[in-house]
Amino acid sequence: MKENQDHKFSRREFARRTALLSATASIVPAGIMLPPEAFPGASPYAQSADLPKLSAESQAEADARFELVLSRYGNRLSEEEKQSTKALCYSLQTTLEHVRSYPIKNGDVPALFLRPLIDRNRAKSTTAKVPAASTNKP
Amino acid sequence: MLGESVLYESVSELAKRIESKQLSPVELTESYLARSEKLGPKLNAYARLTPDLALEQARAAEKDIHRGHYRGPLHGIPYAAKDLLAVKGIPTTWGAKPYVDQVFDYNATVIDHLNHSGAILLGKAAMIELAGGMDYMYASASLQGEAKNPWDTTCWTCGSSSGSGAIVAAGLAGFAIGTETWGSIICPSAFCGVSGLRPTFGRVSRYGAMALAYSMDKIGPMARSTEDCARIFAAIAGHDALDRDTLGIDKAAFTYSPAAELRGRTLKLGWLTNAWTKVDPGVQRSLDVAHKVLQGHFPGMKDAALPDGPWEQAASLTVKAEVSSAFAPLIQSGRVRELADPSGRIGGYVYETVSGADYTTAQRIREILQLKMSALFDSYDVLVTASQPVAATPLDLNLITGLAFPDPLGGIGNLCGLPALSVPCGFTEKNLPVGIQFVARAGDDVAVLQAGGTFQQATDWHRKHPKIV
Repeated sequence: MKENQDHKFSRREFARRTALLSATASIVPAGIMLPPEAFPGASPYAQSADLPKLSAESQAEADARFELVLSRYGNRLSEEEKQSTKALCYSLQTTLEHVRSYPIKNGDVPALFLRPLIDRNRAKSTTAKVPAASTNKP
Repeated sequence: MLGESVLYESVSELAKRIESKQLSPVELTESYLARSEKLGPKLNAYARLTPDLALEQARAAEKDIHRGHYRGPLHGIPYAAKDLLAVKGIPTTWGAKPYVDQVFDYNATVIDHLNHSGAILLGKAAMIELAGGMDYMYASASLQGEAKNPWDTTCWTCGSSSGSGAIVAAGLAGFAIGTETWGSIICPSAFCGVSGLRPTFGRVSRYGAMALAYSMDKIGPMARSTEDCARIFAAIAGHDALDRDTLGIDKAAFTYSPAAELRGRTLKLGWLTNAWTKVDPGVQRSLDVAHKVLQGHFPGMKDAALPDGPWEQAASLTVKAEVSSAFAPLIQSGRVRELADPSGRIGGYVYETVSGADYTTAQRIREILQLKMSALFDSYDVLVTASQPVAATPLDLNLITGLAFPDPLGGIGNLCGLPALSVPCGFTEKNLPVGIQFVARAGDDVAVLQAGGTFQQATDWHRKHPKIV
């Protein structure tokens, strides 16, 4: 518990702010590249030319993530570290975009936790034997 | 003191002489200790040596063997363990300043297995702080500073099992234990010109090992040959009730058998055409020669391609989310500021913002990928490519800008828990080692050992050693 005394707000509040920031991000139209200063919370750290190009929606989310980190840990970071944190938020955003854009269906289950495929029968060979009409019956 | 020619012998060769009482485990241990004391600091290879424990174990081994109680091929063989494996009563620092005084009162399961086999712990191998889980941009991201490559001390060993690579390559121990979450056995093995096995996820217990990414961490041997890796793997593999992620008894255990390894079955090899976007010319030349060697032994070898998809990104997200949970106290307390690397001081702050939804999406993609890879392994038993597209890099290189290239096979292999083996396959024009890797279906570790063993029967790259000034 002692380790948490530096926090400015609780985990619950952290989650609430994250949700709020995500919601804010989602109302920005996708695909429009806006200058960083167009977004609330835009800071000097948004000016770096090294940041990856993102859509407006993604940029807003990355900026929101950066602001979240600043609000939580900003007092621990030097100016240089803030620049690096900003870049890391943008880099993470590109990772997230790749993952989110992959087409998955509702029935695609997560590998939580990983069970390596050794002798496990593959689902498609099992389900292929089940008549399609019967799958939705109670 | 024993000479270099003996100290560079493989475990298999040393074992024969120990069993026949032609070689004393005490003399072998004293010789490795002397060499480690002399060369270890020059390479930043060790976190610490454990001479008292080593000599105690060596004397016990010698006594046992003289009484006729020979335990097997690791009995009396000195080794080093990456400094994230708990050894009772000895500091285990995880390579990071915040844990410099950390001492556990129990052994990691791997250490217990090696004790049971009669192996002798020479010391704890240096490593990248927190195994690189919080990110790092310089080779100096370690309590011991940058690990220097025995082949060229102006170059890095790669990480995070950096000390393990240096120790084996410099002949400071018979073998070393490394760990891999993503690249940490394969890359140092390639850069240092040693043989390294990343076992299937769940075959080796992680109990007592620092957790970085719970669903991706693996422990494996780094040694002088594939055969040595197989022997060590046989000693450390097995189900462990203390690690919930170990496989069942029948799936986790591995029994070493030279016959099964080299003549087990006719392997179908797939030569990967899309594992790397660009390969350094020096690496490519070695790879071309290796291709011919493999073609001669596996005439059915065909080109193969990895499936397209956001596998690396899913793997990256998995590591980021899990590491931020694993080190939440360190991040939230602000003690990350004590880490050596500038990236490590901020990574955790960002990664703990990864949402549960995004993490779960990555895990759903992971399951799809497992099925795709399983289908690919219906056509090939073993996939082959360069271990890295470059040879060892300069010590002061900014790794984020200078060593940034796509690594889909690393992402896929680690996300799916696939076994991989890196063995030396040549040298660049600067005399830096080049590695070739073999990757197989989860659980089919014997296939990569068979492929690597066959390659090493036909080549002698693994018998080359650096001249350390």
